[in-house]
Amino acid sequence: MMLLLAAVPSWAADTVSIDVGSVYASNEGNSIDPALGTIRGKLQSMFNYTSYRMLDRKRRNLSVGEAGEFELPGRRSMRATPLPSRGDKVRLSIQISDGPRKLLATTLGLRRGGMVLVGGPTHQAGVLILIISAE
Amino acid sequence: MDCRAALLKIEAKADGLLPREAEAGLADHLAGCPACAEECAAISATGPALRALAGIRAMEKAPALDVMRTRVLAGIEESREAHRRRSWVARWAWVPAAVALAAAAFLFYPAGTDRSPFHPSTFDVAVEDVESETATVALVDKGDDLPRVIWIIEDAKT
Repeated sequence: MMLLLAAVPSWAADTVSIDVGSVYASNEGNSIDPALGTIRGKLQSMFNYTSYRMLDRKRRNLSVGEAGEFELPGRRSMRATPLPSRGDKVRLSIQISDGPRKLLATTLGLRRGGMVLVGGPTHQAGVLILIISAE
Repeated sequence: MDCRAALLKIEAKADGLLPREAEAGLADHLAGCPACAEECAAISATGPALRALAGIRAMEKAPALDVMRTRVLAGIEESREAHRRRSWVARWAWVPAAVALAAAAFLFYPAGTDRSPFHPSTFDVAVEDVESETATVALVDKGDDLPRVIWIIEDAKT
């Protein structure tokens, strides 16, 4: 057990843990999903939707250069690839597709523990907002 | 009192079962009946003889009984000790099981289903490049205390 715990820091330093939460934002009702944690207030102050519900959440531990696929609601998908970076910075290549259509391709630089939102794709009567964080 | 009834009382007396109030009647009969008196004397002598014999046999068997008693007591103590050992094992058996469970959870916990709430430590994000083949993309920056937003405006949809 001690050997396992001792091995964690080197393992963690070589990988990036990418967390993707898929939030359905709409004006149907007035409920805020408690699973959104402290980000609930941020969403309410930034957008004009009355209801926020987390549909799915996935996490992948990826090495630099390793692509990870994240299934998103509505047959959409996201591919994330950690890129080489320095210090506590994390660089991510993000691609979001809707079937054959490529909705977004971007490269982000953020600190470990940082977060970015990607929103806009329509979903049911509202939109999808992706909460992407990396550690 | 006839001799038949007297004999029953004699046997009851020898067994210690004759009521005290019946002893006078029996004594009157024995005083007037030599045959019953002789029978009474014989039966009365049998009890002490049997008790003496039992005492002798008990003395003969005493060492064996002592050994048996010692064995029984030792067995009881051994049983208690075994119970105490089982109790100790049962009390602490969960520790290795818990350690194994914690190790398994640490190694095999499905990271993809983590449901702990979001607690971002920073919203400092640099968008190095952004493009879309089928949509219009807008960058939204509302300050350091709010997350950066990349908003996808799907053409012909939004």
